[in-house]
Amino acid sequence: MPDILSRHRPLSLLAGLIVVQVLLLAFQIKREHDVRLVRYWAVQMLTPAERAGTWSFSKVSGVWSGYIGLRDSQSENQRLKSEVEQLRMRNRELESRAAEAQRLTVLMNFREGHPEPPMIPAQVIGASADPTSHILFINRGERDHLRRNLAVITPDGVVGKIVEIFPSSAQVLLINDKESGVGALFAGTRTHGVVKGSADSNPHMEYVQNDEKVQPGQAIVTSGEDRIFPKDLPIGTVEDASAGNPFQLIRVQPAARLDRLEEVLILMSQQELAPKKTEEATSAPGSLQNRQMGASQAALTTGGPQKAPNRKSTVTVDSSKSKPAASAASTPEHSNPNNAPTGAANSPAPQQ
Amino acid sequence: MLSTGARSDTNIEVHRYYAGTVLIVAFLSLVLQAFLHKYGRWSELLDLPLLVTIYFGVSRRNPVTGMFLGAAIGLLQDAVGHAYPIGMYGIAKTCVGYLASSVGARIDTEHPVSRFGLVFLLFHFHQVVLAITQRLLLNHPSPFFTLQLFLDSLASAGLAVILFALLDRLRRTS
Repeated sequence: MPDILSRHRPLSLLAGLIVVQVLLLAFQIKREHDVRLVRYWAVQMLTPAERAGTWSFSKVSGVWSGYIGLRDSQSENQRLKSEVEQLRMRNRELESRAAEAQRLTVLMNFREGHPEPPMIPAQVIGASADPTSHILFINRGERDHLRRNLAVITPDGVVGKIVEIFPSSAQVLLINDKESGVGALFAGTRTHGVVKGSADSNPHMEYVQNDEKVQPGQAIVTSGEDRIFPKDLPIGTVEDASAGNPFQLIRVQPAARLDRLEEVLILMSQQELAPKKTEEATSAPGSLQNRQMGASQAALTTGGPQKAPNRKSTVTVDSSKSKPAASAASTPEHSNPNNAPTGAANSPAPQQ
Repeated sequence: MLSTGARSDTNIEVHRYYAGTVLIVAFLSLVLQAFLHKYGRWSELLDLPLLVTIYFGVSRRNPVTGMFLGAAIGLLQDAVGHAYPIGMYGIAKTCVGYLASSVGARIDTEHPVSRFGLVFLLFHFHQVVLAITQRLLLNHPSPFFTLQLFLDSLASAGLAVILFALLDRLRRTS
């Protein structure tokens, strides 16, 4: 190189002189956006080198991270999978807790809306091993001052009654158990009957005359005459009805979801569930208390076998055909020293 | 220093000038060019610094001296004027100085016809270098050749024949 320069000294000087002057021009000339030409050239010269460097670095980095750096990916993958499984389990647990909290909120709201009678919440901890019996175990017992024949409900409706007491648990007979019976009446027509368990999962309402007009969807509530359930608690609705001999065959869809019970309320007395706004309830013509008074007076003034479909005396059916539940349930509780259920409503508890 | 001259390797005669002659003549050419600028068209028609560059380049017959002389005159012309950033005429006249010296070392440039032709060609060479530089650096599409440039080159070549004869009188006789 030095030889070439010395051999072509004039040309080299010419080139150097021109380059110096071009640089001089580049310091003065400004291109677009007020950028000097020398800076523009510098950027233009450096940018490809920088781009090439960046490209090379990214390729090398890609090769490293895509191949060489994957040595630990297997174990990391395993660890992440395990972590995902743990998180899924945790998520399910939290979802379960959230659902439980929601159910408890409903119970709490129901409890706050009905300050009387005293009631305590309980959790369902088990069920019967016998598929033909519908029995639950709850986490409340003798220590919680429970006793037999206490009503068990949910905000949706009647669940059953307590049939056995243990120190820290109790056995609940559901209303769809074939041994169960609840004094009931149609909410609209006030026709009495007894809701009893059956062989299938849904209970039946019995002792309703064939000439009684029963429509599917009709609401059925407790009559209170069994001395276990307070009056006017929702039992369910009529699923279908057909004529039978001697009474109609009425299938009942329970209001409470008996197959999905997790938390329940235990009524510590048969005192009627009164909403908080009692003043409005007493003043209203069709209020709960008014209906209760009318029903009591009707029960006192009626007697003998009844054929009339809409009279309260339908619960005191002819004993020669069958023993009506409500007539037995109307026996005062104090006459039963063992506090055992009487009649259909007091069907014998399953022997556990 | 430029006035001291240098011996050429060839047998072609190398002219010498009195001390300071080259500098004074170059300076006067710039002053006169600026003076002509006041009269508009004359400054565009004639490029006296270019003629001085060609003359001394041809006379000295040394490419290095010629290019440095062209660079110095061109840069001064850029500095005096405001049309272009400093360096545009510098580059063009550097190339012209180099080329004139190289040509002067090979052919006889004492004859008026050869001087006319040499100036005519170098005038266009100067214009081509100037146009290329403007296109590349300024993004300014200057023409390489127009009729006006052709007429200018003829006028400059004619003036050069007279000017060079006057400048010949400044030579130092040995």
